[in-house]
Amino acid sequence: MSVLYALYSEPDDVQKAVDNLRKAGVPEREIVVISSEPIEEYEFSHRDKATWLYWIAGGGGALGLTFGTWLTRMTELAWPLPTGGMPIVAWWPNLIVMFELTMLGGILATVITLFITAKIPTRENTLYDRAVSDGKILVGVESPAEGARNAIEKALGAGFVGGR
Amino acid sequence: MAHRWGMTVDLDRCTGCGACVTACHAENNIAVVGDAQAAKSRAMHWIRVERYWEGDFPDVRLKFRPVMCQQCDAAPCEPVCPTYASHHTEEGLNAQVYNRCIGTRYCANACPYNVRFFDFYNPQWPKPLHLQLNPDVSVREVGVMEKCTFCVQRISAAEIDAKAEKRELKDGEITPACVQSCSAKALVFGDLNDPESEVSRLSRSTRGAKLLEELGTLPKVTYLARQTQV
Amino acid sequence: MKEATAKRIADDLLRPLLNTSWRFFLLVAILGAIVLTGASAWMYQVWNGFGESGKRWPVFWGFYITNFVFWIGISHAGTLISAILRLVNAGWRRPVTRCAEVITAFALMIGAMFPIIHLGRPWLFFWLMPYPNQRRIWPNFRSPLVWDFFAISTYLTGSVLFLVLPMIPDFALVRDKTTGVRRKFYGTLALGWQGTTKQWHRLESAMQIMAIAIIPVAVSVHTIVSFDFSMAPVPGWHSTIFGPYFVAGAIFSGIAALIIAMAGLRKFLHLEDYLHPVHFANLGKLLLMMSLLWTYFVFAERLTTWYGNGTSEMNVFWVTQTGSYSPLYWTMVICNFVIPFPILSLRRTRTVTGCVIASCSVVVGMWLERFLIVVPTLGHKYLPYSWGPYQPSKVEIMIMISTFAAMGLLYTLFAKFVPIISIWELKVGEHPFPIEAAAQVKEHAILRTNP
Repeated sequence: MSVLYALYSEPDDVQKAVDNLRKAGVPEREIVVISSEPIEEYEFSHRDKATWLYWIAGGGGALGLTFGTWLTRMTELAWPLPTGGMPIVAWWPNLIVMFELTMLGGILATVITLFITAKIPTRENTLYDRAVSDGKILVGVESPAEGARNAIEKALGAGFVGGR
Repeated sequence: MAHRWGMTVDLDRCTGCGACVTACHAENNIAVVGDAQAAKSRAMHWIRVERYWEGDFPDVRLKFRPVMCQQCDAAPCEPVCPTYASHHTEEGLNAQVYNRCIGTRYCANACPYNVRFFDFYNPQWPKPLHLQLNPDVSVREVGVMEKCTFCVQRISAAEIDAKAEKRELKDGEITPACVQSCSAKALVFGDLNDPESEVSRLSRSTRGAKLLEELGTLPKVTYLARQTQV
Repeated sequence: MKEATAKRIADDLLRPLLNTSWRFFLLVAILGAIVLTGASAWMYQVWNGFGESGKRWPVFWGFYITNFVFWIGISHAGTLISAILRLVNAGWRRPVTRCAEVITAFALMIGAMFPIIHLGRPWLFFWLMPYPNQRRIWPNFRSPLVWDFFAISTYLTGSVLFLVLPMIPDFALVRDKTTGVRRKFYGTLALGWQGTTKQWHRLESAMQIMAIAIIPVAVSVHTIVSFDFSMAPVPGWHSTIFGPYFVAGAIFSGIAALIIAMAGLRKFLHLEDYLHPVHFANLGKLLLMMSLLWTYFVFAERLTTWYGNGTSEMNVFWVTQTGSYSPLYWTMVICNFVIPFPILSLRRTRTVTGCVIASCSVVVGMWLERFLIVVPTLGHKYLPYSWGPYQPSKVEIMIMISTFAAMGLLYTLFAKFVPIISIWELKVGEHPFPIEAAAQVKEHAILRTNP
């Protein structure tokens, strides 16, 4: 995968570069901004903010609840053993296990979705520069169209580093 | 109709002789832990004779109360067991399945009567004690709970005999070891579902009371109160 | 954020990872030796029989369950507090969250060992887990011990993930700042983290959800631990107050453990510029509040018992108030209220040292509280004939000591391999260095002057 990228120190320059790339006709989802910390208060940092994560977490919880209900009921009925004069399917105690599995489902769904959407773990990233960890902010384009390379280089301006 | 095994203990008759304790040990292969462990109160007496002194000297009265598993219908020891080692049988017994027990000892803590015992070490049978082991009862390994079973091996044997002979069990046909050895006949065992049995008759006695009845554990052992003033 | 500040933060916080002194090896060796001794003590008990512990009829639970409840309680410092502070967006949380969450993860692991150590047949502990097996029997979901299994495994999974997720960007930072084996090692741990806008947004949303989810789980965990006692119809245990009482006590002891851990980090890793007196003062106030809450719960519990005047309850009541357990009981009251209350109330004494003294006292007091809940009740159930004392054996004491060493060891190793303060979160928060921060926090006269 070929890439082109630039490094900047100031978020204002990043915003400018992102706007220039858009003007140069680079599709929105090919523009990548990489920083060593989350940045708020800029337009470019609000891209990709919309997420279904909350709903997926809720779905995971619902799945956990269903599993918990099935597990407790099924196992109690599979070999009904009376204890202490309690009913075979005793809802009060079962609710505790169901609750824990609901939460576990929600947590696992969240983490799995995070890993999938954030594309981790992955082995290598072509678009990266160790200078990011020194506080630089990277703006890059993944697999730019052949004819657009010059335009992108120009749009990235002073911070342009290079690419492949 | 299913049986519902119960017992009555006549406190008027109990002399505190301890024969029931010995008989129980012999019948149920209960390990004798030795004096050092017994001093640490790790002896396992499935039935014990509690001795209480009442009054101030010299006006004291001695009271005995044999206590064994009360085979509660709403037993606090059963639901707390994570592995169903402790559960209720169809005949109303509090079963303890040694092989399922992992030794959380929760049942012993939940039991208000403290009639459950723990194998702190692997049992040993110094010669010639090994010759008297009862083949009908499994020995327990270290780390499991054990307790009075109402001599379930004798109950099963009698039921199997009766079934083979195609007849009903007779009242008094089954005697747990403690009942058999009680010279004063303070202990009576039988089927509480049979209204004519002696144990049913005695359980209905106005002298009858359950141990810690207020806890709502619904025990199947009835204590007949003392009437004599000795 | 200024690049210079960012660089200083990274340099300061990566220093413990890159430089290792002989003191570290010595500490690890000593703590490791104690842990190994504890492990061999347990093996000795397994080999010879459970009789090597001090348990006896009728006190079938003792030190092991005390330590179980104690360590699960300690685990309530981290994740719960960190989650609450995250949700209310308290700025001062940033340097505190990770070292708090680590306590949760390790304390839970240690605490969860005790139910296994205390089993009569520990090699069969997995019978608590629901899995299809040839015995064709499932666990009994009516048993509080099975609730424990589910609650603790959910809580452990949640807190470990809650701890690990924000560590990923920091691993990426370490990867970039190091070379050779370290770069490979941290590169693997960083899972290929880049730091794209999307990744940051997802991470932050995920942390938000985790924070929301982990709070009810944490509350449920210690409630369920309390259910181990309150479900049994036994005097002194069978009480509806136990759930909230245990949760309050858990948070109480947890904050104390957190303060001690933070003071240790501050001193040994020279993090004075990151863990300010204001952090200790804030946590000290929280500890003070929990101390009052704990005292309120104890009073409510004692008063209802005394007023109800049930025969068997009163036996347990008096044996702790004036009987053989009373020295321990009143030490507990002194440690949990009499000592910390004045220290934490007065601004003059709410210093780092003051908070640490109060916290040590609280940790001792809360351990005693757990012991006093478990043992006196078991020794004084309904039938006086079956009353009995309890004395811990050498094996139990050794195992208990080794768990404290295990906590120290795990914490030391963690601080050696992972930045103990979340670097990226600190950067986001514009962390105030003392000189810059002096204006913001000048109400705290105790503020340390910058060297």
